[in-house]
Amino acid sequence: MTPTTPVGPGTPSIPGASARPGTPTAPIELDREKLFAARLHAARVRPYLATALFALHTVESRQVPTMAVDRHWRCYVSPAFVARTPITELAGVWVHEVSHLLRDHHGRSDRVARERGLTGRGERLRMNIAADCEINDDVFGEGLAEPAGAVRPGALGLPEGQLLEEYLRQFGLGPGTLGMAWLDCGSGADGLEREWELGAQGAHGLSEQERDAVRFRVAQGITGRPGSAPKGWRRWAEEAFQPPQPWRELLGAAVRSATSGAGAGEDYTYGRPARRSAALPGAVLPSLRRRPPRVSVVIDTSGSVSDAELGSALREVAAISRAVGGRRDLISVVPCDAAAGTVQPLCRAEGITLVGGGGTNLRAGFATALRTGPRPDVIVVLTDGQTRWPGTRPPCRTVVGLFPRLRTRGSWDENDPDYVPDAPPAWARVVEIGSTSATR
Amino acid sequence: MPAHAPSDPTIAPQLEVAGELLALLRDATTEPRQDTQLEALTLAVAADLPVLLWGEPGIGKTAALTQLATALDLPLTTVIASVHEPSDFSGLPVLGDDPAQQGVPMAPPDWAVRLVRTGRGLLFLDELSTAPPAVQAALLRLVLERRIGTLQLPPGVRIVAAANPRASAADGWELSPPLANRFVHLQWTHDHEVVVRGLGGTWPRATLPRLDRERLPGAVDVARRAVCGLLTARPTLVHRLPTGESRRGGPWPSPRSWETTLRLIAFATAAGSSRDVLSLLVRGTVGDGPGLELLAALDRMDLPDPEVLLADPASATLPERGDLRQAVLDGVVAAVRRQPEKSRWDAAWALLARALETGAPDLVVVPATTLAALRRPDWDVPASIERLAGAVTLTRRADRAAAPTGPHTAAGATAATAGARR
Repeated sequence: MTPTTPVGPGTPSIPGASARPGTPTAPIELDREKLFAARLHAARVRPYLATALFALHTVESRQVPTMAVDRHWRCYVSPAFVARTPITELAGVWVHEVSHLLRDHHGRSDRVARERGLTGRGERLRMNIAADCEINDDVFGEGLAEPAGAVRPGALGLPEGQLLEEYLRQFGLGPGTLGMAWLDCGSGADGLEREWELGAQGAHGLSEQERDAVRFRVAQGITGRPGSAPKGWRRWAEEAFQPPQPWRELLGAAVRSATSGAGAGEDYTYGRPARRSAALPGAVLPSLRRRPPRVSVVIDTSGSVSDAELGSALREVAAISRAVGGRRDLISVVPCDAAAGTVQPLCRAEGITLVGGGGTNLRAGFATALRTGPRPDVIVVLTDGQTRWPGTRPPCRTVVGLFPRLRTRGSWDENDPDYVPDAPPAWARVVEIGSTSATR
Repeated sequence: MPAHAPSDPTIAPQLEVAGELLALLRDATTEPRQDTQLEALTLAVAADLPVLLWGEPGIGKTAALTQLATALDLPLTTVIASVHEPSDFSGLPVLGDDPAQQGVPMAPPDWAVRLVRTGRGLLFLDELSTAPPAVQAALLRLVLERRIGTLQLPPGVRIVAAANPRASAADGWELSPPLANRFVHLQWTHDHEVVVRGLGGTWPRATLPRLDRERLPGAVDVARRAVCGLLTARPTLVHRLPTGESRRGGPWPSPRSWETTLRLIAFATAAGSSRDVLSLLVRGTVGDGPGLELLAALDRMDLPDPEVLLADPASATLPERGDLRQAVLDGVVAAVRRQPEKSRWDAAWALLARALETGAPDLVVVPATTLAALRRPDWDVPASIERLAGAVTLTRRADRAAAPTGPHTAAGATAATAGARR
């Protein structure tokens, strides 16, 4: 939301318009025509947001400084603000406010507040500022004027293009944010209910399911015609209903399910009597027998994977294997670039030597891992995928931790500049590593 | 300090006092409260579908099941899956005198026998995700085929399973896509407010849905029209295996889960449940994307029919929500385009005028522009168009705002509307 700025020389002075919230004002008629002309303009220049813009229910309010939204998709409008703001700026505010709702800033603020234990009005103000930073870096321009005083990440010395959660870690309230101290986009932006809001019981609110339906339609419109929406919105649309999960969880789930799946390390056996046999003399019962799973980690040490990435992923795999009952001596590591290195047990791999560089040939890595006896139950491959994969499915479960590469690195095969590396094969479970995004 | 002798008179009173304190702590009242997730669970159980509750440990799944059992008037049997062996669910092999002649019978456990003898009950399989894989395999057979060893569970027995999300499950158990497809997945979360009030002594008492006998035929009709209508328009939604790690083990669309959805819509309609309840159920059966598309289709079915509106524009009631209202107006204009007649064109203008009087003016602009373009040379402009003057000035202001920025102007809109007014 844009803080009201003192009426400057360029702005036509409106009698009775007050820049301060809460000050009694002589009643100004709400210029509905202007307000809705601005919305129409916003819907024309941002057609993919039209559904959401039209779904907002407007409420005239003299207690909001400018415009604000609540989590039930009501939009509170100050008549004085409408009177003194040009239409293109007003349209910018419309889009700004609806962005708070589409991006679920209230829900995400609540979640962050819970996770990090942030309480109090000051923290909610920080959330509002962070939410504004997330929106404002790509919302204006192309027909929408940036309202005076809109909060940009640059004003706080922060980089653009980040998410609310990331901005929240990077600034505190201080002299730099004084000008934003009464920034107020309503509970739709930061989750804190205001006294002037109509609340859940009020009329014309959207239920949770209706809100999801509107957000879904907007997301569909964006993914359906991706050309017209900026990158930030496309990213939102892709993730709106497919929340990205932290890769640690996914990799953990994949490795766990591979190591604890039937046949890998744990099974029923009739080889020795079950613990219940004494109680049931007539019955023949199998007993549960557990053998710690053997995990082989094939690490792509080619030049394209950084040491930090490798280190974090390797630590993760080791921790997971231990959690499922594996022993450190049962985890072996195979460094692999164009040729596979020697197999090293993890127990003496505190300072494991990951020599390598240049191209990758994971076929060699797989072969080495499978040649070791006893054979591993699970192979975990950590790679950036710029490689040739084995042509046949290996005789054990495979989990691939894939370091994402935004663009394919230059042709590493000089003889074939158009070479595109294969995607990981279908028999492997693939987890993308390094996507830290947390939109939901 | 010497131990108290058994005859010490202070011991028994102490325990009694402790009992009183416990009774005081147990003493809690209830208050009626709408509980969407419990309502969804009740409907799914009533519809005799296998339900899987996903929830962190200790957030009141068992309490909810107790309430559900009371509501459905069924005795509750809870089985903690993680402390059992597979043979407890597939039956214990018992050797007879001559196994070669008589075979080895698989004896069911006592709780199963009791359930079958009673003929009715609610079976709650808790902690599915912490059981070893072989136990899970046996349990899934119980949930999906309703068999325990040689026993077949009678139709009066309803089954609900619960699992921890894989992030918190100790050994990260997850469902394979074919199994996931058979369940209605309900995410079980706790409501902060409810917990705090409950610990303060007031627990919520959910008013649970009741099926209305008179609504049954209509409910089946609604469900069939919704699902068939959507799948006719969107054939790719019929079957879509989940791709990507983050979707594993969750709901996805297939003919089987669409059939489940159909049943759930019919039940929710017959019970008069809210859209929020239906949303939980549908998204838990076919997944978020297809589920939301189906809900949008249901919303469209609820919108007034353009032909009905055109037949009597004076008494038309338009939806309050802006985006729905615009969808209706667009539909009206599309209906005029399909069958252009002077009377229908006039009726559409009357409807637009009505929309302008009862709601936000910017919604009318696009339909008005399109409608104006449908004009035939011999059609006179209806009188009601004068009432649209507000929309025209609004369009002009928007056009002027757009003018300096160039390519996004929509000056054509004003021209077209003005053309219709001539």
